[in-house]
Amino acid sequence: MAFKKLLTKKMEFSASHRYWNPGWSEEKNKEVFGKSAGPYGHGHNYSVEVTVEGEVDKETGMIINLYRLKEIMKEVLEDFDHKYLNEDNPYFKELIPTTENIARVMWDIFYEKLGTDPGCKLHRIRLYETDDLYVDYRRAEQ
Amino acid sequence: MTLTKAYRFSAAHRLYIKHLSDEENENIFKSCSNVHGHGHDYSVQVKVSGEIDPDTGMVVNIDELDRLSGRALGELDHKRLDIEVPYFVENQPTGENIAKYIWDRLKAGLGESLVHVRVGETKNSYFEYFEEASYLDEY
Repeated sequence: MAFKKLLTKKMEFSASHRYWNPGWSEEKNKEVFGKSAGPYGHGHNYSVEVTVEGEVDKETGMIINLYRLKEIMKEVLEDFDHKYLNEDNPYFKELIPTTENIARVMWDIFYEKLGTDPGCKLHRIRLYETDDLYVDYRRAEQ
Repeated sequence: MTLTKAYRFSAAHRLYIKHLSDEENENIFKSCSNVHGHGHDYSVQVKVSGEIDPDTGMVVNIDELDRLSGRALGELDHKRLDIEVPYFVENQPTGENIAKYIWDRLKAGLGESLVHVRVGETKNSYFEYFEEASYLDEY
């Protein structure tokens, strides 16, 4: 029987965002997005869980060295932490920075940074916007 | 892509089988068959699945999810389940049955997008209800 081996590391970041579709009227934006359409944005304390899957290396006993994963996460989150995502992050110039879209963007970034080595690759991104709300994103094939 | 939102409600229940004596019920359900009932703060996680809508950036409108969940859980909140909620007059108000009840109540409004319901009775025990095939495919 084949067993799946997963490893997850969590990291927090704080950012602000605004939900706004430029193709819609102000009225429609307010109707759909409510308070999230406020003109100056609002913020959350997010936390992201990066889960990798792979084989446990016989010599190290690890799927991935957690120090390496921590460094990758810190580097990726530089574009997110203490940023106004709509203005300060390159990925949301034309994409609404919803929790869903942030998770999808992070999948692409982490997938590339972790590489496609079948011995250790990205399995899932879980992004918490608050304690009571999270999204999971994963894609079987790139 | 799945999105999970957590909710809470508080309710009382008593687990017992009507045609058995108090003593027999106590043998089966232990302290859960206390004749005057007892209560929990339940935590509920509702998971929906779908593609991101390009116009909204969302899988589901959270206000709508909150409205549907609030309506379903509002019928349980601050109730004695096995007396005041018809479904639980007929079915034991266990975590297992509460999870199924919430699934059935939400399914009408959420349809195929609903993939998983989790009910926590205490911080140390929770119950999950989902259709195995669809949940595993999506997730």
